[in-house]
Formats: sequence, structure tokens, C-alpha cells
Amino acid sequence: MAALKKKEVVKAEEGEIYDVELSEDLLKANQRLAEENRQFLHKNGVRAIDVMGAIGSGKTSLIEKLVQLLKVKHRIAVFKGDLTTTIDAELIARHGVETVAINTGKECHLDANLVKKALQKLDLNNLNLLFIENVGNLICPAEFPLGSDKRVVVVSVTEGPYMVVKHPFIFMEADVVVINKKDLAKPMGVDVKQLGKDVKMINPKAIVVATNCRTGEGVGDVAKALEL
Amino acid sequence: MHEFSVTSQIVRSVLEEAEKRKAKKVTEVHLVIGKLTFLGLEQVRFAYEALTKGTIMEGSRLLIDEQEGVVKCNHCGYEGGFKYEDDPMYHVPVPTLKCPQCGSVVNIVAGKECTIKSIKMMI
Repeated sequence: MAALKKKEVVKAEEGEIYDVELSEDLLKANQRLAEENRQFLHKNGVRAIDVMGAIGSGKTSLIEKLVQLLKVKHRIAVFKGDLTTTIDAELIARHGVETVAINTGKECHLDANLVKKALQKLDLNNLNLLFIENVGNLICPAEFPLGSDKRVVVVSVTEGPYMVVKHPFIFMEADVVVINKKDLAKPMGVDVKQLGKDVKMINPKAIVVATNCRTGEGVGDVAKALEL
Repeated sequence: MHEFSVTSQIVRSVLEEAEKRKAKKVTEVHLVIGKLTFLGLEQVRFAYEALTKGTIMEGSRLLIDEQEGVVKCNHCGYEGGFKYEDDPMYHVPVPTLKCPQCGSVVNIVAGKECTIKSIKMMI
């Protein structure tokens, strides 16, 4: 066997390929901002509740009823995320609580940066409870924590019997799951108990509450589940 | 779902790194995307191609490793894949936060990442 050739020294030449190790997590950037929001809110004695759910599931109605129920006991503000318009924000504002509309333009979810910006619009000294209503969507908001203490997912019986098992990951994020429009369960042929079982199967630590947010039925139990 | 905005963030970060090192061309980008993210790889690739056009990243190779979801149980110490419920009613197995070993509630420890692992560039 021929002797090994003397190894040549490799020099960095023009046109050489460099391998750059980066390990930059792009979703982590949002998680860091969310953590900053959480600490900022805690420092100011504010608890934040993030409400997620599909379009038309009843997120705004739930927040309206919670505000009506709790505004005597707490000093409340509401962030209302929507692509455009301030329709929902005005619905909430008529209950006499400070409301900030966050229009995302085209984005399908709120992110920690938008919440951080909205926080600058609030007088936190006058506040101890903040509801953050996310954009109607059962997919993306799961991926973007905002810095809230508790996350609520609203699912309504009019979305059909399989909404929970079809979106397991957002339900894994939930502390409280609200099954809304329970008065329509019969005409819809949807079993509220089964939806609740589906939630418990995916996330045994989630508290499930059935509501009718139009009348306010069950909303007291949601407040209890959120320890408010 | 938001592949376009996430991918544009990826492209921006890579271009920043390339500029710092005065690179002439980026030849390869290596990503790790967790299976628990809502990022479709097909759409990420599509957005990548569209977004890199006309930049020094145009034509670069995009490698994507998928990271499986990993959960950890604080009760019995289990660390591994999800427990799936496979009720024929659901048609597909549904992942759950139950420990496959002891049934306690587990924490997700991996599968949510979206990381630029490395970049190859010509200097």
C-alpha cells in the first residue's frame, strides 16, 4: 500500500463554503416576548385571560357576560383581536370597561408583540384583570402564547360534533374549555357530554363548562373555573 | 397556516447572517420544524422559493428535519411520544396529554420548534 500523501492545509479561499451554526428558534422570539408581557402584567398586579375559539363560537359574548358579572368585583380591560373593524370592541366597551381593538390586518392570530403594543395603551394602575380575545381561529393562536395566566378555548355545538378531536393541539393549551350554545345542542344533534369527554381525553387537566352565553347560563361557572 | 410570515422571518434572519459575513451566496439552509407546529412543509418550501427570488438565497437548498412531539411525565418519569386514542369513531388517532405509562398529565418538551439549524454560504 502506497504511503499516504501528505495532507494539504486547507485555507479559506474566495468562494469557499462556510457552514454557520445558528440554532435560532423563530417561534421562541414570540415566547420570549410573551414571558415579558406576563412579568410586566404581574408586576402591575394584573391577571390576564386569553380567549381563543373558532369564528362565531361566542368568544365576544362570553367576554361580555363575564364583564357584566365581574365588573363590580374587578377592574377590567379587554383587548379585542380582529382582522378589521371595531364592531366587537364596541359591543364590549358599552359595558363600561376599557377596550382596545387590536386589528391584525391580515394575520390570523394575535401575537405577543401586538399585545405588548396594546398594553402601552392601558393605565395599568387602574386595572387588575385583562381579557384578551384572540382572532377567531382554532389553529394558529395555539402556537403564539401572549403572556396570559390562563387560556380559555370556546367551542360551540353549532360547529358540529368533531371540533374537539379535529383540533387536539389547541385544546392541549387550554386551562378552561367552554362548550357554548348548549341550548342548540338538541336541534344540532350534538352531544355536549361527548364534546366534554373529548376535551378530557385530550387534556385531562382542562376544566370543562357548558354555557349559553346569550342568556349567561353557565358563565358563573366559567368565572369560578378561572378563579375570578 | 402562517407559513408565509414565518418563512419570511426565516429568510430575513438568513439574509442578516449572510450580510454580517459578507457572503456572496447562500447555498443551503437547514431548518428543524416540530411536528406540533402548524407549519406545512409543502407551504414552507413554496414560500421559501418565492421569497428568496432575486436575493443571494435564490436557488439555495432547503433541508428540513421534522422533530417528533415529545412529552415528559413528572409523575413516573416517562419521556417519549404521545399517547394516542384510537377510537374508530375518530378515524385518525387523537394525541392526548395522558402519560402512556401511568396516565398522569404530561408536559410537552419537544415538537414545537421552528429553528434555523445551520446555513451554508459562499464568502
